[in-house]
Amino acid sequence: MFALEFPPINEILRWSDLFPSFNKIAIITVAAALIGSLIFLLAGNADGSKAPKGVRNFAEAIVEFIEGQIIMPTMGRDGLGWTPFLLSIFSFIYLCNVPGIIPVLQMPATARMAIPLFLSLLVWVVFIGVGFKHQGLGYLKNSLFPPGVPGPLYILVTPIEFISTFLVRPFSLTVRLFANMLAGHILLVTFALLTKELVQGGNIALVPVGILPFFMLVFLTAFEVLVAFLQAYIFTILAAVYIGGAAHPEH
Amino acid sequence: MLTAVVTYGSNGPEVLLSASEGEEGHSSEYTYADCSIIPEGKEPSEKIESLEECDPGPSPIMPEAKELYWGASSFVLFALLMRFFLYPRLRRSMDARYDSIRGAHAEADQARSEAQAEVAAYEAALAEVKAEAAARIEEARATLEQERSTQLAEANARISSARDAAAAEAAAAHEAIRGDIGSAAASVASRTVELAIGRAPDAAAVSSAVEGSMTSGATR
Repeated sequence: MFALEFPPINEILRWSDLFPSFNKIAIITVAAALIGSLIFLLAGNADGSKAPKGVRNFAEAIVEFIEGQIIMPTMGRDGLGWTPFLLSIFSFIYLCNVPGIIPVLQMPATARMAIPLFLSLLVWVVFIGVGFKHQGLGYLKNSLFPPGVPGPLYILVTPIEFISTFLVRPFSLTVRLFANMLAGHILLVTFALLTKELVQGGNIALVPVGILPFFMLVFLTAFEVLVAFLQAYIFTILAAVYIGGAAHPEH
Repeated sequence: MLTAVVTYGSNGPEVLLSASEGEEGHSSEYTYADCSIIPEGKEPSEKIESLEECDPGPSPIMPEAKELYWGASSFVLFALLMRFFLYPRLRRSMDARYDSIRGAHAEADQARSEAQAEVAAYEAALAEVKAEAAARIEEARATLEQERSTQLAEANARISSARDAAAAEAAAAHEAIRGDIGSAAASVASRTVELAIGRAPDAAAVSSAVEGSMTSGATR
């Protein structure tokens, strides 16, 4: 009978610290910030008067993607001032996601709770701050007492709005990113271990069967490339929606 | 397995820990080798009280302070750099290029409009010249037609007068020849009659007879 012992989740998340309090996740987050800075630094240094190419083309494509596909549909032209913030969020999350499929690293930093939690709390603070800045105390009134609702229904609507706007939003932002990336990581580990056990387990009859999980591993690796982009996009567009909604309640 | 025995004596409660059979003092059967993960810096043969002393690794749910610290620091620095340095530089050069592209487009549009105006002016001038050329050609054609008609009439008149002159000349020549032939015929007839009758006939009668004969011959 064939049996495969899968390591506990804790074990696949455990790494040696390079030095105290600096582990693999810290390396990835620092590298993400450095690589992101380097990309935009090199792009800024390139000759901007000519048609962009190389790293500048890449950086401009990201900027135009953020402005055209995220800010304009959700916040309008007034939201273009938020481009650096949303650009930072998107780039940072993407660069933290991608190491999940980079050999040796093979761990998305966002598959740990810390980064999604921090970014979600930051977005939460920002959109509430924007709400108060643009609407004053009316932000609470507009958020908790949506206009057009019959009076008695506020007993039901106000708690729901409070929970959904002020409690669930940061929670859902965090869990969506964290859980998707962790699930992807676990899937990759699962199929990698299954392939290894089938191929190297010593049973020659099982070696050809090992091709199946290997193909699945390759497919999931390609899928994780898409997921890395998609999760960064979803987080960023939701942040834009929340900030835009707080700045312009009529939207 | 450890067993705690609590007794009350003159000095208060006393606790005595004792091991079950098979156990040696306070030691257990576990070592770090029994852990699924051997904690860093620990020897696998080192004994532990329970498996709870194994390092289970990080919690999959709870955020770790060091990750939070490094992640937040990295992002905040990155966002500040992006806000105050990286993005404005890139945006300025993008805007400058877009402005130059828009300016070039405007110049191109203006040049296109000017070219279109020039083409329209050229076409108008060309149409005017063509119309003038057509008018001149038509005028020349009419003039030529008139001259041709005049010259044709003159030529016809000249031909007609020449024809009349030639006819008159031919008629005169005909009359002259007829007179000569009549004289010759009268002379021959007189000589013939003279030979036949031995005397010369009346010249006037012969001439009249010859004239009459030639006239009736011509009309017959």
